[in-house]
Amino acid sequence: MQKLARVVFVIGKGGVGKTTVAASLASAEAARHGRAVLVQFGDGDAGRRALGRQHEGVELVVIESRDAIARLGGAVIGSDLVARAVLGNFAVARFLGAAPAIRELAALARIRAVSADRPGLRVFVDMPATGHGVAWLRVPAQMRELLGAGPLFEIADALCRELVAPGRASIVLCTLPERLVVLESLELWRALERDVGLPPSRIVINRFPSDMPRDALEQAHALHRVRTGDDRTELAELVETLVARRAAWDEARDVEARAAQGTPVAPIVLPQLPVDADAAAFAQLLDGVVR
Amino acid sequence: MRRRAPNLVVCAGGGGVGKTTVAAAMALASARAGVTTLVVTVDPARRLADALGTTIGSEVGRVDVDPAAAGRLYALMPDPKSAVRICLDHVFEGERAAHDRVASNALYLALEDAIAGVHELMSVVLISRAAETLPLERVIVDTAPSRHALDFVTYPGRLASLLEGRAMKWLGSLATHAAAPPGPRGLVAWGRRRIDRIVASTLGPRVIGDFASIFADLSIVRKRFTQVTRDAEALLLGPSSRFVLVGAPTAAARADIQHLARRVHDLGRDASAIVLNRADTGPPGWVASVRASDPRPDLAAAVEILETERAARTLAADETAAAFRKRWPGMTQVRLPMIASDDPATIVGRLADAIAPSLDDLVGA
Repeated sequence: MQKLARVVFVIGKGGVGKTTVAASLASAEAARHGRAVLVQFGDGDAGRRALGRQHEGVELVVIESRDAIARLGGAVIGSDLVARAVLGNFAVARFLGAAPAIRELAALARIRAVSADRPGLRVFVDMPATGHGVAWLRVPAQMRELLGAGPLFEIADALCRELVAPGRASIVLCTLPERLVVLESLELWRALERDVGLPPSRIVINRFPSDMPRDALEQAHALHRVRTGDDRTELAELVETLVARRAAWDEARDVEARAAQGTPVAPIVLPQLPVDADAAAFAQLLDGVVR
Repeated sequence: MRRRAPNLVVCAGGGGVGKTTVAAAMALASARAGVTTLVVTVDPARRLADALGTTIGSEVGRVDVDPAAAGRLYALMPDPKSAVRICLDHVFEGERAAHDRVASNALYLALEDAIAGVHELMSVVLISRAAETLPLERVIVDTAPSRHALDFVTYPGRLASLLEGRAMKWLGSLATHAAAPPGPRGLVAWGRRRIDRIVASTLGPRVIGDFASIFADLSIVRKRFTQVTRDAEALLLGPSSRFVLVGAPTAAARADIQHLARRVHDLGRDASAIVLNRADTGPPGWVASVRASDPRPDLAAAVEILETERAARTLAADETAAAFRKRWPGMTQVRLPMIASDDPATIVGRLADAIAPSLDDLVGA
């Protein structure tokens, strides 16, 4: 199994638990190697919460969109001051607001800079939820082709060669133990391989259900059969709940098997916990990934 | 003839709270109450689409799962890629040449993916379009599972103003400057002209050219574009729109709701209600039944597991509800239980039952 690269993109649809996984990976890395970096977008609130008690050795870097674009402007124009003046121009600001590709490019440039400034450390990036999967990571190649020349082209080109490339970055793909979600994730895997040249290194199945005692459902059925009236109606709901749990369990096991077949490395399974889970809960389970 | 704008209810909430299911349940409750309702989901699990009998695409489909809602429930589950195309068609209706130029413009094609990312914005245009032909009284809009899901609400207004006044003039002059040789880098620039040259030299003549071309074509359909965007803005921020926050009893969902409530406030509105999903208020009826029956070991163990989970949820939900009540004392709160069923249609149906008594508070009727 290949080792993870210096930059690890943690990706997946909204709601699959990426932030917890990214924070747990960073914690596992810090536990094993002393230090790690966790990159978050937005205000870093979710990242701080996910790190919870387990933040020792983990540096949280928050990337804010406008700041990233200003830095990109500074790099391109050669002067931060001028860049901020340009970006302050109302019309430019509006155009940039409507040109998301610039936002992605700026963010990736920032990630590359963060990694370059911390040699020897692994950087785990909690990527924004991807409704369109590969969109973010495809931007450098798209922009490179679109621009053809110029300072922005050079930045896009550098990102293609030095960031979004095998050996430079790894991808950890998060999914849920539901058939359709996994199917989408496997399609995403193929798309990443085809369009970005970077297939995911690992797949993490999050919120894996716990099994119920084996004969619980049959025993519930039996009880339901002998009861009458309101009692019976209530018990019907219990039976339905247990049926649903068994179906979820069967589906989860099936999904795990499919993921194992469809990908070169065995999926990592993280259990569903009854309450809020933070990095402490999962860091140990992810130790094998960061070795 | 333009129909009256439907009552739009935007459901916002973080990831993993069951928002799509809640939105569908609200729509079902609404349809059962006799109101012609459209539910628009942004990132539907195909499982839900199957349950409602609709398909993913950019056309509105009728939902026939429940006779009590017969003929009154519709669903739209846009597919992002085709949604962008349809919006392009809608905006450029009647101007074939301009449409084709934009559709083949390199910059547009490069950004089509990214534009598709503004899924909600496309959905709003599709809703306006649907409202032109269907007698829609209410639209429930599900949004992306993220705390940034409401960013799109200001886009129509911003896009509309792009084609008005100063911005348009600047963009026009930008294209001219693309032809001029780039100014020296590193100079402190004062005044618009140097800024123009800097932007032009940064993006390159090809991109500027493509960009200018798109805007030239957009100004051909300027009136329609403005109308489409202003209609969208009216739908989202008009007097008959409502914002409902959907959460679950987790710290992440709570933080997302706080953030989204602030965002709604920034828009000059206030959320009409908070829906707490998977927030059971107490033990289900069967717990007492089973415990009183001297159950066999596996069943007893299963009940204990389920009850432990349920108790944890209830405790977290109580805390969340109290925190929200303290922060927003006047805001309606609706608590929905966790529904465990293998069949999504059953879940939607039961949630609709639970929502019905509070429906008017939610939709601001």
